[in-house]
Amino acid sequence: MSSRGCALVLLAASATGCATIPQNRRAHLADPMMGVTGEPLDAARRQKLYDTREGAAGGDGAAAGGGCGCQ
Amino acid sequence: MKRVLRPYAPATASAWLLVVASATAASADPPQPLPADEAILGRPSDAFHVESVTTRITSFDQNGHGYQSQSGPVLGPGSERTNVLEPQLEILASQGDRLKHRFWVPVDVVSAASPDAIDRTPASADVVSSASRRNIAGQIDWAATYVADAVTGVTMNSGVHLEEPFRSWHAGLGATRSFADGDTVVSGDVSSFFDWFDRFDITGHRHGRADRSTDTASLGITQILTATTVVNVNYGLTLQRGELGNTWNSVPLTTMERGPELLPDERLRHALVFRASQFLPWDGALRLYYRFYADDWGLVGHAAEGELMQRLSPHVYIGALYRFYTQTGVDFFATLANPNAALRTADSDLAPLDSHTVGGKVVVDLPVSPSLRAIHIEVGYERYFRTNDLQMNIMTCETGYRF
Repeated sequence: MSSRGCALVLLAASATGCATIPQNRRAHLADPMMGVTGEPLDAARRQKLYDTREGAAGGDGAAAGGGCGCQ
Repeated sequence: MKRVLRPYAPATASAWLLVVASATAASADPPQPLPADEAILGRPSDAFHVESVTTRITSFDQNGHGYQSQSGPVLGPGSERTNVLEPQLEILASQGDRLKHRFWVPVDVVSAASPDAIDRTPASADVVSSASRRNIAGQIDWAATYVADAVTGVTMNSGVHLEEPFRSWHAGLGATRSFADGDTVVSGDVSSFFDWFDRFDITGHRHGRADRSTDTASLGITQILTATTVVNVNYGLTLQRGELGNTWNSVPLTTMERGPELLPDERLRHALVFRASQFLPWDGALRLYYRFYADDWGLVGHAAEGELMQRLSPHVYIGALYRFYTQTGVDFFATLANPNAALRTADSDLAPLDSHTVGGKVVVDLPVSPSLRAIHIEVGYERYFRTNDLQMNIMTCETGYRF
């Protein structure tokens, strides 16, 4: 995708974001399937797997370190 | 905290009905001021109230080989066979309407090549021989969130990690603020870890203590785009200093023997994450994830993940997951290193590799009674495999009680 295409996509996303979604239209967003980070304990065990078996731990709010000396 | 603010459906609906009913009945009278929330819902209790208790147990069954392991030929690769059993406990509680608590206790029971039995007579066991001993690690983590007002929350967390040759303390501070009636949530947090552990050589003998610090700062934004779409972007920076290896990893050398791993004493990591959730018209949902990672050891990684979920009934849904990950490896990775090299590692986790994860899950939420709102059950299986000879079968099961 060209840089102009990327800019258009970002602009469209930003413009959509400016429209407030009324509370009574957010039922689908409250569905447990819709959580962007998933169930906390499931996310934690997945993150630990990837942190300890790949070289790219940390950086996104989940610190490297803090256990088992293998990060 | 990156959660989407969700409508408080039962209480909101009840309050709305009451307000509509009272407004209709009083339509002929002069306008009256609306009753306060407390008059309708009652004053929230300041007592400690447990909102949910959740347990999850996960089993990791790993097979594979890596050049850092001495459980094999001198020039490797050696076995990376291991089993891990990981129970977790999470308790969510509230204290009045302004204070929320989260207690989290993960435990790892590792049966593998571990430092558990080393430095004991007759000497050097696991690091130079077979995977045999058992090692137990546990952590206690407490996070308290103060709800300053309807749009602002501040979270403080702290914890300790205990493992036989290893201690770790951590603390963090984060804040969230929502805008546009909750459509936009901006979050930021900082955290610091301090690890303190025994230093061993590659023959399994102890040489005092080593330590490292890990400091992380991150900034994120979650945006509701439509009534069925929500996205999240997060950038984080992590700086690590100190002993950054486990101290007993070894490296095959061109002199036909093994030497210790030599790593820099500092590592700066960057990660940019994009997440999106899209509700699908057939009562399903698609969750997408992409992560870009780069650090000053020369490792660049990309992870992409998609999870498709389908609701089968109001109380049951199923999900299928695929994740692809690729990394370049660190600049000084070698499976046969020069003995005079200033930096060297043969750790298979730091090698150039691709990995795949495929899996599925079933989730059930059963309503029970007014006092026990629901029982949550989740069962899942995943298969993880890497291109440099590592495979893992993962079974996981979660049970939760929502009060």
